[in-house]
Amino acid sequence: MLRDISWRYFDFWLLGAVVLATAFGTTMIRSAVAGNEDLLPSINRQIYFALAGIVLIFIVAAIDYRYWMALYRPIFIVMFILLFFLFLSAQAVFGAARWFQVGVLFVQPTEFAKIALILLLARYFDKTQNEPRDLKWIFGGFLWVMALALWILLQPNLSNVVVMMVIFGALLWLNGIQIKHLALIAGVGILLVGSVFGLTALGIRIPFLQEYQQQRIENFILPNEEETFGETYNVDQAKIAIGSGGLFGKGYGHGTQTQLRFLKVRHTDFIFSALSEEFGLVGSMAVIFIIMLVIWRCLRAAQKARDVAGMNIAYGVATLIFFQGMVNIGVNLNIVPVSGLPLPFISYGGSGLTALMLGIGLVESVAMRFKQLDF
Amino acid sequence: MSSQTVGKFQTSTWRILLMYGVMVAVMSVLTYRLVSLQVLERETWVNQAVDNYKTEISDPAPRGIIYDRNGYILARNFASYNIVITPANLPDDEADIQNIYRELSALIDVPVNEGDVEYAKLFTACVPGPGIAQMVELGDSLAPYTPVRIKCNVGEELARVVRERAVDWPGVDVEIEPVRDYPTGSLTANIVGFLGPIYEAVKDDYEARGFVTNRDKIGYAGIETSMDDVLLGKNGLRVVQVDVAGQVLRNLEPPIEPEAGNNVVLTIDTRLQKAAETSLVEEIDYWNNYFNRTRDISSGVVIAMNPKTGEILAMVSYPTYENNRMARFIPGYYYDQLSNDPRRPLVNNAISAEFPPGSVFKLSTATGAYNEGVVGPDDIISTPGKLTLCERFSPNDPCTALNQRPFVDWIYERNGVINEEGFGALDFFHCIAYSSNVCFYKLGGGFEDEIEEGLGIFRLGEYARALGYGERSGIQLPGEEDGLIPTPQWKRINTGENWSTGDTYIASVGQGYVLGTPLQILMSGATIANHGKLMQPTIIREIQDGEGRVIPVWFKPEDFSLYEVQDVELDSGETVKMWVNLSNPDERFLNAPSGSYQISPFTPNLKWDITVTPKIQIYNCDVGYCDPTGTYKVVDPSTVEAVRTGTRLAVSDSRGTLHEIFTETYPFTIAVAGKTGTAEYCDDVARKANRCQFGAWPTHAWTLAYAPYDDPEIIVAAFAYNGGEGGSVAAPIVARVLQAYFELKSIDIAQSGGGG
Repeated sequence: MLRDISWRYFDFWLLGAVVLATAFGTTMIRSAVAGNEDLLPSINRQIYFALAGIVLIFIVAAIDYRYWMALYRPIFIVMFILLFFLFLSAQAVFGAARWFQVGVLFVQPTEFAKIALILLLARYFDKTQNEPRDLKWIFGGFLWVMALALWILLQPNLSNVVVMMVIFGALLWLNGIQIKHLALIAGVGILLVGSVFGLTALGIRIPFLQEYQQQRIENFILPNEEETFGETYNVDQAKIAIGSGGLFGKGYGHGTQTQLRFLKVRHTDFIFSALSEEFGLVGSMAVIFIIMLVIWRCLRAAQKARDVAGMNIAYGVATLIFFQGMVNIGVNLNIVPVSGLPLPFISYGGSGLTALMLGIGLVESVAMRFKQLDF
Repeated sequence: MSSQTVGKFQTSTWRILLMYGVMVAVMSVLTYRLVSLQVLERETWVNQAVDNYKTEISDPAPRGIIYDRNGYILARNFASYNIVITPANLPDDEADIQNIYRELSALIDVPVNEGDVEYAKLFTACVPGPGIAQMVELGDSLAPYTPVRIKCNVGEELARVVRERAVDWPGVDVEIEPVRDYPTGSLTANIVGFLGPIYEAVKDDYEARGFVTNRDKIGYAGIETSMDDVLLGKNGLRVVQVDVAGQVLRNLEPPIEPEAGNNVVLTIDTRLQKAAETSLVEEIDYWNNYFNRTRDISSGVVIAMNPKTGEILAMVSYPTYENNRMARFIPGYYYDQLSNDPRRPLVNNAISAEFPPGSVFKLSTATGAYNEGVVGPDDIISTPGKLTLCERFSPNDPCTALNQRPFVDWIYERNGVINEEGFGALDFFHCIAYSSNVCFYKLGGGFEDEIEEGLGIFRLGEYARALGYGERSGIQLPGEEDGLIPTPQWKRINTGENWSTGDTYIASVGQGYVLGTPLQILMSGATIANHGKLMQPTIIREIQDGEGRVIPVWFKPEDFSLYEVQDVELDSGETVKMWVNLSNPDERFLNAPSGSYQISPFTPNLKWDITVTPKIQIYNCDVGYCDPTGTYKVVDPSTVEAVRTGTRLAVSDSRGTLHEIFTETYPFTIAVAGKTGTAEYCDDVARKANRCQFGAWPTHAWTLAYAPYDDPEIIVAAFAYNGGEGGSVAAPIVARVLQAYFELKSIDIAQSGGGG
């Protein structure tokens, strides 16, 4: 299978954008450590993961994505078992467990589950590409989503379930869902979200949400002005960090919010605030631009894909990066409730970065196998 | 694998375009928000970021020291040791922390664990209760870099041990906290006062001046209150950058160093103060033992002053309180005990309590009667033991059997023996010397044809006020009372009755409605002693800075403002001398503010000279009705000399009220002059004992004496509450204080003479 690969169509723009984003992320993590010794090892870790990730891109790109399509059963089973055991271990420690410890590494199966879901959905939409777009077609895809998402929902990790639903929704749209069905789903969705917000605003507990999740929503809808060190603290500090950065920022390593540690979880969830503070509007727009560049190259790959599976992989990865990125930035800017989704390629996190690199590798694999126009 | 490319599904272009549209919309929202935060609202957020890291740290200024006139320390600051733990500096390992807690616990006797964090929240620092672990846990959650006080005010020995051991205990330290210390304690508590926390009503004012509520203390009584603006100094200020844990990283602005408060030197001589206190307490104890019961002579006052300068040399108000017990915090039970005590130990009775002056008030009546020509040096007044007067509420009231009122002299009934003769007949000087009531009734209120027109209440009031009664003296101590010189109008307003002839009689001997503070009574004596010159009583000798340089300060008694004379540079670049209000530097004057007087460097301030300053308003009197004319006159120097002669006779004449005490009990070689007083009173205590009836009235004992007679340099007033007779109870106190004064003087001369 590796015999006749042509690197001619390997998307170096995509690779370049990813490398740039990752390098920028690592640099920002270094600044965000801000003298916290516990965070110090995360700089090198991220560098190792980034380097390994780039290698991974090449390996995955070299492999025809259709092999993964064929292996959908083992992929599903492995992912299912991992998530199931993660759920069980979470029950054992009476709390949310997000990772397995493997040696010194903390592996977060959820991150990989999103890539697995893209592959599974790509296979499903490829297989059913000529079937009518009826409710049965939608429900078939929904079953795949729920098979994995259920365990994540029970972890509980609502944000990633939302990510998976969004990927599913985007792919349904691009695979030609009927408008009336879309309206139906949208109606149910709006009703669901609306009732969650409404009940939260009224202070009624919702059984499927963790208390802290509902608290976050509540803080978003009705911020408590007097609460300086409460739940709104992180978001307030993020706003101060971003706003005080101004046009050109305070300079690398000179952000007072970051360096004096007023900004919390500044190497993961709030790294966008840290970079906005130190590099200003110029820096934050540059990061958005690089992420958009990655997304654009993924979309381009999707449109040129040889088959429906390839198209869906590329669209799926693009949706994943776009949604996660925008939600993360939205949280930083306090226009979205706190969610805990990392900023793609920038935030610290080995599993997240590796999973994304895997996704990029898949997109590269699609790109390398475009429709053969030059006979 | 599906390899078919024919019939492959293709996404409609409009669906892709709509997807792009959504992306662009989301991007626009984020970009708009970023631009508004980072460009439009930047200023707001930068300010908040600065608020986050910029902290002002106030470094406390050491409070000024209070000295007596000889440089003896009356109030100082001393180091108090607190054992503290800084949570952030504790080791990482929980086992190490527990080890430290256990070892420290054994040393300082504070349990490792007691209650939980919620329990610890109930206690303020320094109050024992929660365990070490709970206090540290609470502190850690609030401000990990702020030391938590584990035990306060440990001994120096223990502090040293902990400091040595702390080398192996990261996070544990010994904190030194300045605490006010009063070496003379209760001896000078009523003068020096004590400190307390900045209270709610003045919080804003003090915070605006850079003081820190809950840390800095302000005066609550005495000199600590009145001289607060001098003693406080200026707190230092450091503007620093802190991180989220509160750790100070660097100065953002050049720091302002704290300025120590200035020192106050009092006019008090602690040795004389001690002598006065001892004399008073021993006299009270003697009489209480003599009558074999706690004969409610429970409180007393002794004041010694230099009549020529107004310097207060001693001011004892007994009982008082131990101000060292208030040094760290004011203990509630102790404060309650003091405020519930009927003898009012928290009050400086020398200035803050009003008593009937009794016969010492005769100095006013005598001055007035002589100066107004009611009596001449050659006039003889008949002084039987008892006088019967028509009590008239208006001049036309008829004299009937119903309004006959007896007035007796103090020698009328002695130990059950009736003396109808009384003093017989006396001249003006012996009226003073023997303190004849009948004589002064006549001088004050007139009597039949003998003295047709007495001094009268209006003119009596003029002379009393000229001697210092009826208004605050303006001394630099808080809580001064103004006493009371009654007028007919006052009586009508306050009792609804007309002024009667009897009222004038009893007012003439300092009874009835007349009230004065012990200081006012001392001032009246000082005016006579000092040939009519009333000096401003002062307890401040000077204000010094840390290097002993004397600072010019003026004091305004009206509102207790203090003004320092400073060289102020005006906008024009010109430097002028200005009187700057110490509590409000914006309030400054080119001249001494009206109503203020200089307290430092020391200068005797003349309040007035009754022989020079027209203080006596002239009244036009006609058959009992007197109208003020609005014109004023002076007291003739011969009047003052006549009254002085009378006070000297009190000692030198063998029947004088002070003769026995100053010639036999305490033989004086120096010529002493004075006046006794035995003031009947009726207050809540006496009313309860059912003694407020004719003939059974309890009496306060007063004595006033000055020496040497020709050129007095000291005047002493003693007061014993419910003391009985002035001559037998208060006079020995005065005598002992005078004795002590002249002994100390000779010691001082010997010492300085030995050097020269």
